[in-house]
Amino acid sequence: MAQGNLGIEPEVLKAIYGQMARIRAVDKAIQAGLSQGKFMFTYWPMTGQECIPATISQLITARDYMVTTYRGIHDQVAKGVDLYGMFAEALGRQDGVNKGKGGSPHISDPSSGSMVTTAIVGAGAPIANGLAISAKERGEDRVTIVNFGDGATSIGAVHEAMNLAGAWKLPVIFMCQNNQWGEYTRIPTYTASPNFYGRAEALGFRGVRLDGNDPAAFYAGMKDVIESVRAGKGPVFVEAVTYRIGPHAGVGENYNATKEELAAGKERAPVEKTRALLIDAGICSEDELGALEEAARKEVEDAIARALESPVTPESETIIDVFADVNSVPKRGSYPARAAETEPTGETRTMSMVEAIRDAQHIAMSKNKEVFILGEDVGDPHGGVFGTNKGLQDEFGNTRVRPTPIAEQAIIGAAVGSSIAGMRPIAEIMFTDFFGVCLDQIANHAAKQRYMSGSATHAPMTIRVQAGGGMGGFGAQHSQSTEAWLLHTPGIKVVYPSNPFDAKGLLLSAIDDPDPVVSFESMMLLFTQKGEVPTGEYKIPLGVAKVKREGSDITLISYGWELNNCLAAAEELAKEGISAEVIDLRSLVPIDYHRILESVKKTGRALVVHAAVEFCGLGAEICATINEELWGKLKAPAIRLGAEYAPIAYSNAIEMNQVPNINSIAARARAAVKS
Amino acid sequence: MSTTLTIPKLEMSMSEGTLAEWKAEDGAEVKEGDVIYILETNKTSRDIEAPASGKLVHKAPAGETYDVGTEIGEIV
Repeated sequence: MAQGNLGIEPEVLKAIYGQMARIRAVDKAIQAGLSQGKFMFTYWPMTGQECIPATISQLITARDYMVTTYRGIHDQVAKGVDLYGMFAEALGRQDGVNKGKGGSPHISDPSSGSMVTTAIVGAGAPIANGLAISAKERGEDRVTIVNFGDGATSIGAVHEAMNLAGAWKLPVIFMCQNNQWGEYTRIPTYTASPNFYGRAEALGFRGVRLDGNDPAAFYAGMKDVIESVRAGKGPVFVEAVTYRIGPHAGVGENYNATKEELAAGKERAPVEKTRALLIDAGICSEDELGALEEAARKEVEDAIARALESPVTPESETIIDVFADVNSVPKRGSYPARAAETEPTGETRTMSMVEAIRDAQHIAMSKNKEVFILGEDVGDPHGGVFGTNKGLQDEFGNTRVRPTPIAEQAIIGAAVGSSIAGMRPIAEIMFTDFFGVCLDQIANHAAKQRYMSGSATHAPMTIRVQAGGGMGGFGAQHSQSTEAWLLHTPGIKVVYPSNPFDAKGLLLSAIDDPDPVVSFESMMLLFTQKGEVPTGEYKIPLGVAKVKREGSDITLISYGWELNNCLAAAEELAKEGISAEVIDLRSLVPIDYHRILESVKKTGRALVVHAAVEFCGLGAEICATINEELWGKLKAPAIRLGAEYAPIAYSNAIEMNQVPNINSIAARARAAVKS
Repeated sequence: MSTTLTIPKLEMSMSEGTLAEWKAEDGAEVKEGDVIYILETNKTSRDIEAPASGKLVHKAPAGETYDVGTEIGEIV
C-alpha cells in the first residue's frame, strides 16, 4: 500500500472515512425525510463539516467530554451517541436519549461523553470550562472539546470562557468549526478580523489554524493539540477551516452563497475527497467502500424505523424532570405539606448573616471536597466583597476558593459545567443586578439542563447573590430585587433568608440540593442583624415557611429584609389592637402554599409584602392563589404591597418610600382589616 | 412499500410552499436522488429530490400553493 506520503496510518484514514460515511448517511436521511414530509423538525445542516468530528473521534474516547451546538449532529454521531436514541430524540419520542424533551438541539448523553448541546450560540464555551475544572480537580486525564462555529466568536460568552480557561490553564479545546458563515451572514460582514485563532494568542494561550477538510493534516494537528491539553499544558483554540454547504436551517444548499463560492466549497468537501484518496492510495477498493457506506445507510435506516415506532413523549411528562422531585414544582391545586426542620440542639454562637454564611460554606467544604467557591474577589484576605468567604481560601487553597475575572457568564457557566460533572460549586454573584449579564447561563442552561436532558444530566449548583435596595446610595443598578426574573423560569429554586439562622440552614440545604438553587442575601441584613446560630450542621428544608409571629386578624407574608419590616409593622398594628400573624416564606421555589393557606384560613386576611416591584411580582401570584382557594372564607381579598413601578432611585427620599417600609406596610394592613 | 410525498417544512418560518413545477412526469420511473419537483418558498426555490426509487404518481397540480404537510404525490 502506498501510505508513505499520506501522512496518516491507512487504518486511521479508513476509520475516519467510516465515521464520515455514518455522518453522511444521517445527513442524507434527515434531508430526505424532511423533503418528503416524513419528518417535521428544524434541521441545521452540517454538510461539508464531516471531517472535523470524524477525525477527532479517532483521538478521543467516550471518557472525554464534548459540548456542541444545535448544528452538531455530526459531532453527536462521531462521539458515539446511539443513532436510535438520537433519532427518537429528534422526533420527540419517549425512547429518545433525552426522553424527547430536548430534541436534537439539546442532546445530552453522558454515556458517550456528549454532555451538553446548546441552542444558544456560544453558550457552550463557559460550560465546557466547568467540565474541564471537574476533570482537572479530580486528576482525570479527560479533555473537554467544545464545538462552535466562527459566528460564535462574536459573542461575549466565548470571550469570557476563553479568558477564564487561559487564566486557569484548563484542559479544554475550543473547537471553532469555521464554516465561513454566522447563520445567514458571512465573515467580512460580521467581523473585521477573520483571524480567529489569533484571539487565543491575544488572551495568552495557544491558538492554531488547521484545515478541517483534510483528514491527514487535521489528524496530525489535532493529535498534537489533544496530547498537549491532556498533558495539562492548558487550553488550545483550534480554528478548523471548513465550509458549510447547506443553509443555516432547512435542507439543500446554502442559498445565500454565490454559485462560485458553493462550487469552491464543494470542491474542497471532505467526504468525496477522502473517499477518492482511499481508492487512489490503494487502501480500499470500491467494493469495500461501497460495503462500508451500505452498512452506514442500513444502520441509519434501522435507527429511523425503530425511532418512528417509539411513542411520542406524552403530556403526562410535562412537569416531570423540571426538578428532581416533582412535588417541588408549583402547581395550582397541589399544596404539599412538607415536614419542618427539627430544631437543632447543641452549641450556638452569636453570628451576623455574613458569619452564618461563612460557617455554612466552611461546613460544606470540610465535608465534601467537591464543594468549591468561585466568584469575583472571593479570595482572602477579604473573602469576598462582603467577607462571606473570609479565611476559606487560606484554609482550603486556591482551587477550592477561586477568584475569577469580572465575567459573570464565565462564572455561572463554570458552575453549570462542573455541577453537571457532579461537583457542588457555589458561584457568588456580587449583586443580583448582574444577573442581567449572566441570565442566559442561569435561565437557559442551569435551569433547563435537567428538563432538556430528560434528567440524563442536571446542574446541582448554588448561586449566592447579594441584593441591595432600601438602604440608600447604591442607585438603580445595585439595588434591585430581581427574584421574579428567576421565579418565572422553571427549573431554578430560590431561597431568601431573613436572618442568620435561616441563612445557614438554607444554604446547607441548597448546596446539597440536586437542583440549581439561588440564595439571595440582603445587604441590609448581612452585618446589621445578629442572632444565635448553632455552630454545627443543620438544614432548613426548601419549601417550608415559618410562622414568625402568631396572630388572628391578618397574615403578613414576606421574605428577606422586608420580613423584618413586617415584624416591626406587626408591633405597630398590635398597639392599635390588630393582631397580625407573620409568615417568613424562606424559600420562594419550592413555595409553601400549605402553610400560607393554613394561616390565611385562620386570619381571613392576607397581605404579601416584598421589595421587588409589585406589578407582576410574587405577591400577585400568592394573592391570586389565596383568593382562588379561599374564596368565600376570606374577610377581605388578599392584597399585595411591593415596590412602585420605577427603577430604584438614588434620591434617599424616593428610595426609602418606593419600597415597602414599616409605615406603608402597617397602613396597607390597617386598610385591609378595616375594609 | 410506497412513499408519500408531502409539502415539506424546510424552514422554521415555513407554513406553505408552491409546487412550481413537476420535473418528472406523472407515472415516470424515478431513481432516488432524481429531482422530481421544484418547491418555491418565501426564501428560495429548491429542487426536491426523490426520497426513494419507483413510479412517481402526481396527486396535486403544479403552479399552486399548498400548506406544509399536504400530500402532493407518491412513489410506488
